[in-house]
Amino acid sequence: MADRPSATSPVLAREVARPIPQPRSRLGRHRALWAYIFISPAILALLLFALGPILFTFWVSVHDWNLIAPIPDMPFVGLENYRYILTKDATFQQALRNTFIFTILGVGANTVLGLLGALLLNSPIRARAIWRSIFFLPILTAPLALGMMWTALLNKNYGLVNEILGVFHIPPQPFLSNPDQALPSIILIAIYQYVGYYIILYTAGLQGIPQEYYDAAAVDGANKWQTFWSITLPLLRPVLLFIIVTNTIGALQVFDIVFAATTGGAETSGGGPAGSTMVVVLHMYNTAFKFFRMGRATAMATILFAIIFIITLIQLRLLRQRE
Amino acid sequence: MIRTQTSPIGMLGRTLKYLALALLGLWMVLPFFWMISASLMTSQEIQRLPPPFLPAVAQFQNYVEVAKVVPMARAYANSLLVTIFSVAGILFTSSLCGFAFAKYQFPGRDVIFLLILASMMIPFFVILIPVFYIVKQFGWINNYAGVVVPGMVSAYGIFLMRQFIQDIPDELLDAARIDGASEFRIYWQIIIPLSGAALATLGSFNFVTIWNSFLWPLLILQSRDLWTVPLALNSLRTFGAEARVLNLQMAGTALSVIPALIGFLFLQRYFVRGISLTGLKG
Repeated sequence: MADRPSATSPVLAREVARPIPQPRSRLGRHRALWAYIFISPAILALLLFALGPILFTFWVSVHDWNLIAPIPDMPFVGLENYRYILTKDATFQQALRNTFIFTILGVGANTVLGLLGALLLNSPIRARAIWRSIFFLPILTAPLALGMMWTALLNKNYGLVNEILGVFHIPPQPFLSNPDQALPSIILIAIYQYVGYYIILYTAGLQGIPQEYYDAAAVDGANKWQTFWSITLPLLRPVLLFIIVTNTIGALQVFDIVFAATTGGAETSGGGPAGSTMVVVLHMYNTAFKFFRMGRATAMATILFAIIFIITLIQLRLLRQRE
Repeated sequence: MIRTQTSPIGMLGRTLKYLALALLGLWMVLPFFWMISASLMTSQEIQRLPPPFLPAVAQFQNYVEVAKVVPMARAYANSLLVTIFSVAGILFTSSLCGFAFAKYQFPGRDVIFLLILASMMIPFFVILIPVFYIVKQFGWINNYAGVVVPGMVSAYGIFLMRQFIQDIPDELLDAARIDGASEFRIYWQIIIPLSGAALATLGSFNFVTIWNSFLWPLLILQSRDLWTVPLALNSLRTFGAEARVLNLQMAGTALSVIPALIGFLFLQRYFVRGISLTGLKG
């Protein structure tokens, strides 16, 4: 539950296809009993805390519920919650739009930056271990802590970023306190936070490219640029696809940074100023735990889940085409 | 991969490479450097315009001061407790369940395994409300169990352990059986000692993820005594939006980073492998 696994990693796809060796035992029944005992804690927990709840989410999304009323008394409302959030709830629509912008720009920027970082770290450089640790620093830090750090760094009056801009004679920018700049600021924080993940994933991909290809290219007299375009990039394609899809799924669920950078003070619900940084999970959280509209909140969860599900299916399809 | 050349172009390329590295590295490090610097400033220094980059005198007592504003020591203990029990739970259930799927034949095995794979596709926010309700029914709001128990099983962990344990030779298990070992003893005395690398991989990134988790503890651990480190940080954040307490906020932030950093230094290899295998995000 603590992690957000991707069901579509190339490793996983390969593993699912791999046949499980059959134990050659005559004590089958005795052993099967043990196997059931061994899997029971995990299976019970998954049923109770993952598979059961997802059905419950769908169920609640077609009811009106405030979390306190007994479950049998929930009034059935059909698709009313969906109709409401898609046509009447302006904040949800804004949140959906912001989440898409956040995802496209954040994942897009890091897809390029991460590759650049991975190429740099995998080329012959001095003190590689130190460089690597530096790039991994943000992914070890709690998103909440990073959000707090960057809120201070981006402050209009005393923030370091504006001080640096001042060196270049750029006037102080409001960043998080301006509706036009707030979402780009959040995206900047997310890029900072996640670039290390992309570097790790790209590095694994780069190390999977056989050295022979590079040797052959060198024999043919290809320069670095040609080698990159005709060997590295094409062979990295499946990894690239995996990186884009898993990170898109992760980015659609953004919460902590936005919460840290926009709640508190006057804006108790967060997502401000003027809803310019409201994202789906934050709006869902508010709808559920500030206004206790569980039906609407679960409908939001279902819609975002449907989007993620479609993206997952597309990736599975693309991975299969490759094989 | 790229051969170092001594030609002028090669020199230029190398200079550009280190320049790019330095710029990216500076971007990564500067915020942390500033965080430490700000955490050592006085309240006056941090409010000065333009703000100084370094404190005149490092105010180490800020780190003591933080503990007076929020229960930082208690939060540390809470975080350690929650994280250690969750990680131990994940390691135990994943290895036991993964062992069964790797080495046993039983009716329904493939269907159950597919269910586990399916549950890997469920993002946490989708089940947030139902799991909150279930935890509430158990009376686990404001209880460590509400955070630890739902997080004690990882579908991905089961998958990883199954994959790893499959490669342990059956002969080892059969030899132990001939010697009269029970099935659980085989798990405990053969499988576990041979699964060190996989357990370290699973444990290290779960440690970092759980240590840093925020949304779920925020919902469950409402009373001050039970706050984990991110919750204490959050309280520092809302304690004063003013620059006045920014030094304390940054001291708290610095304190929160340390355990993950230490863990990373020791388990770097496993942590990196954990991410590269799956693309997990915390």
